Amino acid sequence: MHSIFSRVNNISAFLSSCMMTLLAAIALSSFLFTANPQGDLAISSIKVVSSNARRYPNKKQDLAFVHFNITADLTPLFHWNTKQLFLYLEAEYANKKGVKNEVVIWDRIVRRKEDAFIKFEGKNKYVFRDISSSFNGVPPANYVLKYNIMPYVGLLQYGEAARTAEAVAFPATQSRL
Amino acid sequence: MFTEELKAFKRLGFRHVLLQVLNFASVIASGLMIWKGLGIVTNSESPIVVVLSGSMEPAFYRGDLLFLTNPQNERYQTGDITVYKIPGADIPIVHRVLETHDVTPKTKKSKKAAETSSAVSTLPHQRLLTKGDNNYVDDIELYQGLEWLERKHIVGKVRGFLPYVGYVTIAMNDFPQLKYALLGSLGLLALIQRE
Repeated sequence: MHSIFSRVNNISAFLSSCMMTLLAAIALSSFLFTANPQGDLAISSIKVVSSNARRYPNKKQDLAFVHFNITADLTPLFHWNTKQLFLYLEAEYANKKGVKNEVVIWDRIVRRKEDAFIKFEGKNKYVFRDISSSFNGVPPANYVLKYNIMPYVGLLQYGEAARTAEAVAFPATQSRL
Repeated sequence: MFTEELKAFKRLGFRHVLLQVLNFASVIASGLMIWKGLGIVTNSESPIVVVLSGSMEPAFYRGDLLFLTNPQNERYQTGDITVYKIPGADIPIVHRVLETHDVTPKTKKSKKAAETSSAVSTLPHQRLLTKGDNNYVDDIELYQGLEWLERKHIVGKVRGFLPYVGYVTIAMNDFPQLKYALLGSLGLLALIQRE
């Protein structure tokens, strides 16, 4: 009954159940932190340029170049179960055919609380194009700054940190930058 | 070494061995039931996956465990982390959604078709583009000729995260001897145990 095997078995079972309880408590504790910081987002300029498509060199494709300013203090989002923050700026619009679109044009990974005060001025990091290959006649787009809190253990949480006050229109296509 | 065990076997008789085999089988069956039950609840073919590549570092490392759901009437949004499987590729990929385009499905003229597919047609068809956080470019090259990712390719959306635990399976894949040793010893224990 009291062999080494049964002792090892008991101890490891006890330790692993303690570990599971602790992990569950930590995962649940991140719901107690309900910070909802708000920042500022401003679009300074948009240009739409006609260019060659990625896969079809003979096809034309409109690319949008968006310049923007972000100021946001996201330090409250860092608590003991925050591994990193994934911050992304997306454009939301519906094109002529009523197709709803969400396109991420910029992102940043924030790993430390010290880096969580975001002050950024620049242009889109990823290619911004429409699925119909033209921005001609597309209604104005909303730009939204969102974040994803990624924990050490537990559930992923999402939130919205800033939004443009009103939709920003796409200008007419130019042939070169 | 095994003489004692053999003696015990003889003492306990054939019925006891059968009982142990039955116990072992019921453990395996209940494990399978839990797995498939989870699959039904989450609507995902594999609700728990192990991260196999480093393309989502520093968030997910090799060996981390991810919990997925795939609710049928919920659209995917940018920033969601999806697990997808392209036909022809054998390994599922964990990457974040970069673009979504809700294309309204072509409506069929016949009323019958519309009635039967009403549940499906309320949800727009989505075309997705994904990218790994640790990669510099999006995933078009991984789609094996497809232009966009579609709903049918997606296994699920990542909801929960548990670090390191899945490394056991990676270790078992890298060192098959470990797998056989583990399975063998488990089976032996199940047969021999006298409690």
